[in-house]
Amino acid sequence: MSKKLISLFLAALMLIGCLPALADEAITVTDMHDREITLDAPATRVVAMQPSDCEILCAIGCEDALVGIGQYCDYPASITSLPVVQSGAETNVEEILALEPQVVLMNDMSQTEEQVKQLEDNGVKVVVSKATDIEGVYYAIRMIGTLMGKADAAEAVVADMQDTFADIQSKAQDEGKTVYFEVSPLEYGLWTAGAGTFMDELATICGLTNAFGDVNDWASISEEQVIARDPDYIVTITMYYGEGPTPVEEILGREGWQDLKAVKSGQVFNASDSNALSRPGPRLKDAAVELYDFIYGEAAEVEPAA
Amino acid sequence: MLSGENITVRYGERAVVDGVSFHLQEGQWLMLAGPNGAGKSTLIEAIAQGVPYTGVIRWQGENLRAMKPQQLARRIGVLSQRNGVGYAYTVEEVVGLGRYAYRGGFLSGRRGEDHDRVDQALAMTGLLGLRRASMLTLSGGEMQRAFLAQVFAQDPQVLILDEPANHLDLNYQQQIFSLIQAWLRQPGRAVLSVVHDLSLARRYGTHAVLMHRGRSVAQGPIDGVMTPEHLNGVYGMDVAAWLGELLGQWQGDKKGHCS
Amino acid sequence: MNDTRTLRRERFAPLTYALLTAALLLAMILCVCVGSVPISLSDTVTAVWNALWGLPIPQTIAKNIILNVRLPRVLCVAQAGASLSLCGAAMQGLLRNPLADGSTMGVSSGAALGAVIAMAAGFTLPGTGYGGVMVTAMAFAFGSLVLILSLAYALDHSLATHSIILIGVIFTMFISSIISLVVTFASDHTRSLNFWTLGSFSGVNYDQAKLLALALALCGGVIMRYSHELNAFAVGEDNARHVGVNVKRVKLVILITVSALIGVCVSISGTVSFVGLVMPHIARMLVGPNHKRLLPASLFAGAIFLLLADLAARTLFSPIELSIGVVTSLVGAVAFVIIFYRTRKAR
Repeated sequence: MSKKLISLFLAALMLIGCLPALADEAITVTDMHDREITLDAPATRVVAMQPSDCEILCAIGCEDALVGIGQYCDYPASITSLPVVQSGAETNVEEILALEPQVVLMNDMSQTEEQVKQLEDNGVKVVVSKATDIEGVYYAIRMIGTLMGKADAAEAVVADMQDTFADIQSKAQDEGKTVYFEVSPLEYGLWTAGAGTFMDELATICGLTNAFGDVNDWASISEEQVIARDPDYIVTITMYYGEGPTPVEEILGREGWQDLKAVKSGQVFNASDSNALSRPGPRLKDAAVELYDFIYGEAAEVEPAA
Repeated sequence: MLSGENITVRYGERAVVDGVSFHLQEGQWLMLAGPNGAGKSTLIEAIAQGVPYTGVIRWQGENLRAMKPQQLARRIGVLSQRNGVGYAYTVEEVVGLGRYAYRGGFLSGRRGEDHDRVDQALAMTGLLGLRRASMLTLSGGEMQRAFLAQVFAQDPQVLILDEPANHLDLNYQQQIFSLIQAWLRQPGRAVLSVVHDLSLARRYGTHAVLMHRGRSVAQGPIDGVMTPEHLNGVYGMDVAAWLGELLGQWQGDKKGHCS
Repeated sequence: MNDTRTLRRERFAPLTYALLTAALLLAMILCVCVGSVPISLSDTVTAVWNALWGLPIPQTIAKNIILNVRLPRVLCVAQAGASLSLCGAAMQGLLRNPLADGSTMGVSSGAALGAVIAMAAGFTLPGTGYGGVMVTAMAFAFGSLVLILSLAYALDHSLATHSIILIGVIFTMFISSIISLVVTFASDHTRSLNFWTLGSFSGVNYDQAKLLALALALCGGVIMRYSHELNAFAVGEDNARHVGVNVKRVKLVILITVSALIGVCVSISGTVSFVGLVMPHIARMLVGPNHKRLLPASLFAGAIFLLLADLAARTLFSPIELSIGVVTSLVGAVAFVIIFYRTRKAR
């Protein structure tokens, strides 16, 4: 999504901010598919298909309004007891209607026009949320806050994120160091996060350059490129299941990688939660802090292995 | 040399060959005759150990079932009806396969003999000029001769042939039957074949087994088996009269030509 | 004598082999020298040369990339290509079916399913690490092959027909959906679906290269020993029996050997299609259908083709890497249509 479009959204948002005063309780938002949605009153029954929207709802104190979640929603743990609906290509309209929501929050990638229309014919408001960068996440938080009548709480979450990023940015020194994000390990074929990903943005905030900034999105890359680009830091998001070498040990032990700067200085880290790094939600702030700690904090001294 | 006792082949419940026995002696050409569905080809497959059967088939007293495939192939050569080639093998390569039964580590010194046998077989079947030709380019008659050359190269003592001249022009028919007859003249050899054409069977066979619905109706020297009485019963028609009528058409022409 | 000379020429054509060997060496050298990271020829040569004699290597990047990334990969790719092509040639001969191959007959996907299940269930053989996955892959490959052959045989009593391929393709689709199911439910433990369906040599190491070498030497040796029998089968299974081939035993041995070799390849690189289907045809165009020459020629052709395909996968969109199956299917499908059209016309 282009920056221009986002600033347009922001302008629209500012307009919306003035609206409640005029139309008493009525709420109007422009969703991230550029559609206008009007509610008579703040929503009290919401189905959120995406993990990030669940996280946003909980962060602004609206967990009670959640009546259903998409199949991959797992944070915070307290929501996992809620009814689960199929999401993505398997979206099932009946399942959603059975939960009698007023609003459904979804991405617009896989739902068909027909499905959206079916939901709307049944009086359910479909709101599209699809942030692809941090500015987009701010927009999504404010949009959901308005929908829920919690604009203030949403603003506080956004402010907290902005403050955290600003704080990190001010402390971080841009020394031209590079970081390589490993999304899929060597054994399964190397994948990295390139430009246009949250990891890329977080790297910039921490004063680093993404070693694969020339690649778009998540991409399969060749091993020799990693060796040639010789990153200063390596961050892997591979989960550890308690058997065999840890992801960090595995990277440190790779043949041909022993001369990489990151390996020699032990600057290889395993992110504690890959979802925080990749979901367009409030926890990007936590991911940024963790990344900062890896690079500048004590964590950097704790991690290196033999 | 080769004898079968009480051979039965069943496809499910149905006995396609039902308790047939036969004896084949050196120098004999045993014809399996009978109408379609009599079980002739199946009996041949059984002798070649290609279908499961009950009963015993013996080679000079030895049970064929106990023989290794290579041993069997050195004694019995089979020319089956369906022979096509999927890939562009040369005639020589296909004929050379007939020497497979003589392969084996300790026999490797016999390469020279292999070549000679292949050459002889090619010469006998008139294929020397086509030895490097691809099997895919051959006509039906040439293909049949190539597979005949393969069994010749195999150098068995008994030849088992299923319709060796099927679908061939008359001149090839005569050629192939004469070739087989010439092969049979060597001592220690015998032939067993299915021949549909009764005239051909009678012309070349020394002995015959007449089959009907899986059973042997008559067997023995060819003249004793191919009698009007046997044939008429099996085919359900006056065989001699029909064949005579067919040939009669040509008699006038021949006379007219001569005079 | 003239006749003996032609026969001898049939048994070995030194010139063809010299050319094929040269082409293979050239392809290997090319694949070691060219990659997504440009490394000068002299650095490459120094790295390989010094490593051979145990000398220290001055350029660390060249050393790490050439010796630890490219060389093991080139070795694995060449051997996997040779193995798959050899298996294709053997199956096309054994079944007298020019469309037979591990990927058209569901053997590769069967092996992939075995590997996926073994990974998902955490099935390991004591002391072998990856051995459990490999053995399961082999067993599944053989099971699929037997299943497909018996289905095809029940359908029309012949294995030379197209129905066997039809069954194989349907079976492959069926197995692929099971694989994706297993991968979905056990995504934490197995490689990605992409790997299993399109294949990849990314991250292979010397241990895997050694394993492939062992498998190729053993299985390849067995298959090559059966070249006479394969000729007989390629002319016709009935004919093979008549000339004295022990058809049941030969068939069983070849099928087991082929399954084992495909199982090893699949567990290392996923399913790479079209190599085993197309390369034997190209080899047949070069040296004819006689397996004495066809099998070695297929080995070379498969190795060279897969090396070049992997080179394309590595370098075409550098630094992004393609799945090797994308390249082989793209090139292989087109080549196959051309070859099939030409051979059909030639008849």
